[in-house]
Order: sequence, then C-alpha cells, then structure tokens
Amino acid sequence: MIELYHVSKRYPGGQIGLSDVSLSIPRGQMVFLTGASGSGKSTFLKMIYREEVPTEGQILVNGRNLAALPAKKIPYLRRTIGVVFQEFRLIARKTVFENISYLPRILGMDSARQRKLAYDTLRRVGLAHRINAFPLSLSGGERQRVAIARALINEPEILLADEPTGNLDPELSEEILHLLLEVNLRGTTVILATHDRALIDRVGHRVLTLDQGKLAEDRELPPGIVPNMRAGAASAPGGDAAPEPDAALESDAAPGPTTALPAEAGGTS
Amino acid sequence: MNLAQALAYFLREAVVGLARGWKTSLLAVMTIGFSLFLSGIFLLVSINLGSMVDAWRNESRIMVYLEADSDAADLARVADLIESMPWVRAARPVQAEEARERFIAAYPSMADLLEGWDQDPLPASVAVEPDWPAVNATTLANATTTWREDPAVSSVDDDRDWLAQLEVVTTMLRGLATVVGGALLITAVFTIASVIRLAAHQHRDEITVLRLVGATEFYIRGPFYAEGTIQGTLGGLGAVGALAASFIALQRRFGDGLLGSLVASQFLNPTLLVALVALGAAAGLAGAILSLGREKADSARAAAGWGSEE
Ligand SMILES: Nc1ncnc2c1ncn2[C@@H]1O[C@H](COP(=O)(O)OP(=O)(O)OP(=O)(O)O)[C@@H](O)[C@H]1O
Ligand SMILES: [Mg+2]
Repeated sequence: MIELYHVSKRYPGGQIGLSDVSLSIPRGQMVFLTGASGSGKSTFLKMIYREEVPTEGQILVNGRNLAALPAKKIPYLRRTIGVVFQEFRLIARKTVFENISYLPRILGMDSARQRKLAYDTLRRVGLAHRINAFPLSLSGGERQRVAIARALINEPEILLADEPTGNLDPELSEEILHLLLEVNLRGTTVILATHDRALIDRVGHRVLTLDQGKLAEDRELPPGIVPNMRAGAASAPGGDAAPEPDAALESDAAPGPTTALPAEAGGTS
Repeated sequence: MNLAQALAYFLREAVVGLARGWKTSLLAVMTIGFSLFLSGIFLLVSINLGSMVDAWRNESRIMVYLEADSDAADLARVADLIESMPWVRAARPVQAEEARERFIAAYPSMADLLEGWDQDPLPASVAVEPDWPAVNATTLANATTTWREDPAVSSVDDDRDWLAQLEVVTTMLRGLATVVGGALLITAVFTIASVIRLAAHQHRDEITVLRLVGATEFYIRGPFYAEGTIQGTLGGLGAVGALAASFIALQRRFGDGLLGSLVASQFLNPTLLVALVALGAAAGLAGAILSLGREKADSARAAAGWGSEE
C-alpha cells in the first residue's frame, strides 16, 4: 500500500519534480506511470524508496510515514523495494553475479545460496549464461535486464521500474513486460514508468499520467494481455480489450498509440 | 548478517581494498609507521637514560670533606655523626694517607703532584652511602646543612645535583617523544583519512547502490574502518620492527660504551610495544572515521555520497 497526500517536490534549483499529487496504490496493483520527459516520473519513484524526500505532503508506504522514518530504518524499507534505475547503476568493476547479489550479501546469505538465487533470477531475464560477464561487455538491453534481475532478486514487495524497456527491442520489451506482469501476479506491487504509450495501451491496468509534476490523469484500462511466461512475445489471450487511441497525451518515444496487438513494430529504444 | 559475518566481510573487503590501492595504502602505513618509530626512539633513549640515572644514583655517594687541619678524632666524630642518621647505610672514614694512596693508585703518572706538600694535599673525608630509597630531598638538604656547620667539615659533595639534571633531560626526552610523536601521529591520521577518502570516492558508485538496495551505514562503512585500522596496525608493527632493528644495530655498533648504554641497553617492554601497535591501529581507525564524516541527517543526500563530494 502506497499513499501520497498532497506531495510536492521542488528541487533546490527550483525545478518542479512533483506538484500536489495525492493517490493511493493498493498492495499488489500493477501501475503504469507515464508522461512527457521531465514530467516527474523518476521523481515519483525516487520518493517511494526515499532517495528524494518531498518538500510538502506525506508519503506512506505500508502504513509507514516516510518523512518520519528515522535514517536508521531506511535501509530496511529499501530492502522490501526492488528498483530498476533509469540509468541502471551497474558497477563496471563487478561481474553480473556481484552486481545483482548486493542485497543477498547484505542479508548474509551464504555464497552457495547467493549463487543459486543469482542464477535463477538471471534465468528469468534470459541472461543466465552471462553470470560471470562484466557490464561493459554487455549490450544495452542485456544491461537493462541485469538491472531488472538485481531489483527482482529478493522478491520485493514493491517493484519500481524506471523505463525498464527503454533500451529493448519490441520483442524483448514484450518479454520483460511479461516478466513484470508475472511478478505482479505473485503479489508484488509494480510501478512501471514508461514513455511507451503503445505498451500501456496494449497491457491495460492502471495508468497514472503526470504532466509537469501534476497528476493529470488516473485511469483504469481493462487488462489487455495477461502474462504468459513461456509464450514469449506471442499471444495476448486476455481478451480483445480495445483501448481507444488516447489523444490527450503526447508521446515522444512511441510512434503513436496502436491497437492492442502484439508484435507490432512500434519501436521503443 | 550477524556480527561475525559482518566482521569477516569487512576484513575481506578491506584486504581487497588494500591490495588494489596498495601504493596509497603503503604511504599511509609508512606515515603511521614513521611517526610511531620516531616516538619509539625517543622513548627508547629516555628509558635507557632513565635507568642509567637510576643505576648511577644507587651507586652514588655523598663525600664529606674535612678541613686540612682536622685530626683523626675529628674524622671519627664526623663519621659517627653521619652514621647516626637512620637513612645512612654506611659512613666510611677515609684517612688523608689513604686518599693519597688511592690517588696514586688511580693516576700513577700524576703521583709527583702530591710531593713536597707540608700537609697532606688530599683531605680526609667520609664516604656516605645512603639508603637512597629511604631519603628524600629535604632530609638530605637538612642533613648536609647540619654537617657543614661542624667546624671540622670543609665541604659536602653531592652527585645528586647533576643526576637531577640528567633526570630533567630524561623527562624532556619523554615529553619530546609525546609532542613530536603526537604531532606526527596527527599528520598520519590525516594521511590515512585522505587515503580512505580517496578509496571511498573511487567506490562512490558502489556505495550509492549499496545504500539504495538497503545496506546499513555500518555495513557500508565497516570495510573502510577495517581498512584504516589495518593500515594503522601495519604501521605500528612496522615501527616496532624498525625499532628492534635499530636497537640491535646500535648494540652491535656501540656495545657497552657510553652511547650504547645510553640508547641500547634495554629495549621497550612488551606493554609499550603493544601500546605502540594499538596506537597505530587507533590512529588508522580515527583516520577512517574522520574521512567518512558524520552521517547526514538527511539520508536523501547521504544516498548521493558522503558529503565530501557535494
Ligand atoms: N536532482 C535533480 N535536481 C534538480 N532538478 C531535478 C533533479 N532531478 C529531476 N529534476 C527536475 O525535475 C523534473 C522532473 O524530473 P524527472 O527526472 O522526475 O522526470 P522524468 O519524468 O523521469 O523524465 P524522463 O522521462 O526524461 O526520465 C525535471 O524538470 C527535472 O529537470
Ligand atoms: Mg525519468
């Protein structure tokens, strides 16, 4: 459960990150966060894991008021939140295994278990064969998947993904999307920030639209596709939900809204 | 992660860190080592000098010289007077002839200096052997005054004057050890602090990730604290090793001579050696703590680094 009450964020330089946002996200919900570049998507996510603090308003995560959370408790909050950072934040000196195993190590898991967990998680993102590679030897999409694996490794209660499909080709982003939906089905609250209107329209669920820091729209699209792990990018059996083209929103990445069918070339990246 | 696991992890990370940045680490180790070594040398000299002063003092006597015209009865009387003091272990009268024979025995080439005098050129005297631990300065001063008042006594000669001066030198050396060693140690703490700050700066990306995935400050800082402590300990051990080597070299070179006994008859005792190493370790830890600074109240800023780069 994530609750925001009149949350505003003004950066020291005067830039508006968020402006008077109030909303509530129940446990286990799948939420898309969209809006133009600079509209505050990353700011929104950063406040939930408390990399940034609001200048006004209150944020409650699982009933805990983040503003009142003592510094000593912050690490424990963060352990329950998996974050896929927009800029990945992979450590070049460390292998893929080491990069995704920070949390298991902090939690004191023995190395055999760390290894197994890393392997299993990498398999979910299709990178098990690269477990010993260094990030610089990976492609952009592979790095992105390592970042996703790091966020997923300890089955977080909340998964925050900032443009997790930004660097992926349509097929791969479809696969990642399936992965995130599957994670969501297991009970994790997922908030996915993206420019990709086509993706949102195809998938449905709740969509929050930010515009210059304000919550411009909060609506529920009928679920489009349901996760189907094995099928990869193929099927969309969840019904023929037909999200109407959404005129109100510009999209600087996707070439305009498309109807909900898979395998269209509507490029991200 | 329990405490034992954490400590093992800190040590492992610290050793990796030391190995990776071994050149800067070596610099830190050497500054600590040098300052402790210098303090150790001052300590070594002052301790040796101090024990020599003690030894001399225990052997030293007080000589009470009689007037040239005094006779054997005067000598006996003065000796009795002195011996009656409770803190005097022995008071041995030395006749004028005996003094002369001793002089000739000690300096045969100057024997003719003593020829052709009307009276004995060397006066009779009483050699006083005090029970040093039982005497304090006031008792002694009072006693010498009383003895001087005796008409047969011409002068009282007390080695303690210059022994006291030597003692001042020892105390000064000890002070110097503290001041110079302390100043250098502070320099060393700052050196370690910059070395650790550099290491932390090189790892700031990783530190940020650690923070964001939920590492505690203790977990993040532990390896750096361990690194500083290890550097300090190595510096301390290096200093002890260098001190031992210098000590042996000085003994070889100067043996039992005055200089040898001044600096190299007695090594620092184990407690002091352990204290030197512990001081090094503490200095290293202090440097690490200094370099990482205090935790920012606002963890949002803390997530971005340790303040130093902001
Ligand atoms: N650390 C910061 N300091 C100052 N201003 C910032 C900072 N981070 C973000 N901003 C500003 O806050 C506003 C919102 O930024 P934010 O990164 O949240 O946007 P975004 O929606 O994630 O954009 P994008 O789609 O490009 O990632 C922008 O105007 C941005 O310039
Ligand atoms: Mg962003």
